[in-house]
Amino acid sequence: MNFFEYKNVDFSNSKNIILENVSFSIKNKGQTICLLGPSGVGKTTILRTIAGLKYISNGEIILNKKILSNNKIFIEPEKRNVSLSFQDNALFPHFDIEKNIKLAISKNNNGPLFFSTDELMDLFFIKHLKKKYPHEVSAGEAQRACVIRSISKNPDLLLLDEPFANLDHNLKEIIQKNLKDILKKTFITTIIVTHDKNEAFYFGDYCGVLLNKKFEQFDTPFNLHYKPQTKKILEFFNRGTLIPVKFIKKNTLYNDDLGEINAEVPTTFSINQSFEILIQPEDLHFDESSNLQLEIIDRKFNGSNSIYVLNTKNNNKISASVISDHYRILEENKKFGIKKPIYISNLICF
Amino acid sequence: MKNLNNKIWFILPFIISLLVFIPIAIIIYSFFLETSDYISLLSKTYLLNYLVQTFILLISVIFLTSILGIGSAYFVTFYKFPGCNFFSWSLILSFAIPGYIYAYSLNAFFSNYGVGYTLLNFIYSGINYNEVIPKINGIKGAIISLSFSLFVYVYLIVRISFNYQSQNMIDAAKNLGFGPIKIFTRILLPAARPGIIVGLSLVGMEVLSDFGTVSFFSVNTLTLAIYDSWLIYDDLTTANQFSFYLILFIFLFFFIENYTRSRSKFHTPSKSFKDIKKITLKGNKARFVTLFFFLIFFCSFIFPLMQMIYWIVKFPKFYGVFEFMEIFLNTLYLISISTSILIIFSLIINYGIRLNQNSLLSYLTIICTSGYAIPGVIMAVTLLTFFSYFSEIIEKLFYLNNIKNFFIGTTFALFVAYFIRFFSLAVNGIKSGYEKLNTSMDSASAMLGFSKLKTFKKIHLSFLKKNLILISLLIAIDIIKELPMTLILRPYNFETFATKAYYYASQDLVELASTPSLLLVLITSFLILILKRFILKDF
Repeated sequence: MNFFEYKNVDFSNSKNIILENVSFSIKNKGQTICLLGPSGVGKTTILRTIAGLKYISNGEIILNKKILSNNKIFIEPEKRNVSLSFQDNALFPHFDIEKNIKLAISKNNNGPLFFSTDELMDLFFIKHLKKKYPHEVSAGEAQRACVIRSISKNPDLLLLDEPFANLDHNLKEIIQKNLKDILKKTFITTIIVTHDKNEAFYFGDYCGVLLNKKFEQFDTPFNLHYKPQTKKILEFFNRGTLIPVKFIKKNTLYNDDLGEINAEVPTTFSINQSFEILIQPEDLHFDESSNLQLEIIDRKFNGSNSIYVLNTKNNNKISASVISDHYRILEENKKFGIKKPIYISNLICF
Repeated sequence: MKNLNNKIWFILPFIISLLVFIPIAIIIYSFFLETSDYISLLSKTYLLNYLVQTFILLISVIFLTSILGIGSAYFVTFYKFPGCNFFSWSLILSFAIPGYIYAYSLNAFFSNYGVGYTLLNFIYSGINYNEVIPKINGIKGAIISLSFSLFVYVYLIVRISFNYQSQNMIDAAKNLGFGPIKIFTRILLPAARPGIIVGLSLVGMEVLSDFGTVSFFSVNTLTLAIYDSWLIYDDLTTANQFSFYLILFIFLFFFIENYTRSRSKFHTPSKSFKDIKKITLKGNKARFVTLFFFLIFFCSFIFPLMQMIYWIVKFPKFYGVFEFMEIFLNTLYLISISTSILIIFSLIINYGIRLNQNSLLSYLTIICTSGYAIPGVIMAVTLLTFFSYFSEIIEKLFYLNNIKNFFIGTTFALFVAYFIRFFSLAVNGIKSGYEKLNTSMDSASAMLGFSKLKTFKKIHLSFLKKNLILISLLIAIDIIKELPMTLILRPYNFETFATKAYYYASQDLVELASTPSLLLVLITSFLILILKRFILKDF
């Protein structure tokens, strides 16, 4: 039996249905799951139903062979040994940071944690703020203190809601690494809600993409990237453009705008069949002398590389990525030459 | 289970709403009852007089308190001058002096052969100063007494409004070329308007409910008419009928106050809030402002205090007459029981609102808390009416005797009256604390494994500690000063400082009133100083 089960859960508030028949599970203790999705889609609601802060309308939530919620049973939040770190700072305003964390330690029934409070605070760079009150620290610091408080309870299941939303990029990377170490050593099963794909892929043994009240795909980060199951997943990750192609001969596809495209076509498709494939910026390379010259309509300088939005003869928009060395040449040209033949190493088709 | 839990929280507010509704229901009911000739006699002769006197008193006190209150709040907030830190809190001390005690002092000083006369005679000797000293009595005396004892409402609330104004706004006005007067009239005053209206509405309600001052100066206001018809003509129905007119006036202020409060959300500071930079006054301007504050402080606090001390020094033999300890214990008894009941019920109601977030429950709570607008005299008289009916019904139903004595002859009715009157203070005091404790804290606490009861004890109560102390102190101050309800509803021979002072003053023994009055003022001042020291540190 799985360590954690979220089975066929429906949730609706007084006005709307928020979750519809949502299911996912965590196989083993100590694993980390990430939930991805656009704002307002119900990611936080999932965490709150697991924590017992919201009642589910249907379905079942099971943790460690114990039913937490279903139609008949509802275990009170304080009895679940599930710890939720809130997105907004939920430190008790009248206690200092240390007292806030100590409250959690007093409720640890799972035996001592691998790390001491001081070590945790050190790893999150807030050791110097021990005696400060929540209103005296920044939003990012308060959020880190919240995460420490949640971990300190040594819960059966740790729920983190956008734990690094208030951190700057550099600090975020260090803290992410430290948190991953902590989770590994403490062996705490964790569900992280985030809208940052990189964060989800970094932490998650599995990631679920929640779109339109249900999971569009719940899979490993690798599969989410290389084997997306629906077009909506591509759209959500903003992966590129779907273009119509015709399978003309072995390993060759034809598109009206780009001509022949080479790729390993799955055996499920047959010659002369038409379908759509994903063209990503990294699939198209720059060649100044190419015959296929497309009009540049926008460019985005990303440092080492640049993304160009191109207009095809049929007025379709596709993107191409080039190393920024070519920047100077392209600045002068109004056209972008695409290197032929086009080869797609990992073909994604629908 | 979930639904049942929710409904439980509606029961208590519903019962309290009914309790608050008793006085109003009785007034409306009595208004349509047949009554003795007294009311028709009055309406033919004196009713207009009662209304006119009430109106003159109301307008004059509102005018004076707005000048004193807004003026002092303005200078304290925006300027630095000699003594400004001292005056900023010491003006609050005038809260310790009820209007009726101020009235006794005023009368004693300016009356024929009064303290003023003695003082002039001592310094200059010889002449009959009685003709020179202005006689401050009647409506003049009531206006001055009430203004100096009530302006502090306007001062406090307007000061908070001024404090919420950002320096950005003043800088922007200066940038547009506005001078100090234009900034005051065009920017600061309009922005503080909600505070001013709320403060003046409270003053209005207090003036209309005042009993002690008007009865001492024999100003024929509606409140006095109610008291007289109850006590002198022994006609409860007529008293209730007068109450109907008075309550209409009062509810006008009540609605203005509540409407303004609900519309004034935008006056709370935003993120771009910048603290006000005080302007330092120099030379004559500084001297003038300091003098203005000294006069207000002197008139509102020092003068009545000295007057009482003077009497006590002059007539030391009266010390023994006064059973100080017993009265002190009586007061302590009233305060401790009332405060405990009020705080327990307010905590339950607020906790229910917090758990349920239900608009019906919030509306019910507004009704529960509207009792503060009911004047003390009306509250007392209507509760007497209610308990008479109620005990008759109980006696008939259960064949019992003397139930009435339980309701009226004990402090029971008094506790009910205090409860209705001060419930708003307690509920809103706790509410303002709870508003600062985000509901996600409860979830956070549950996440740490704390049960609801433990969350309440460990998180809520420790967070609300300051609010609870503040409420207890304010209720204590109010109960010590409260006169008409205590006077009418107390058991026989049960005295507080206020009733004792009133008793002597009404017997024309103002000198004797000085001891209970002084003790009342000293205890209240002490409580105000505790408030200032521990709760309102930055004020």
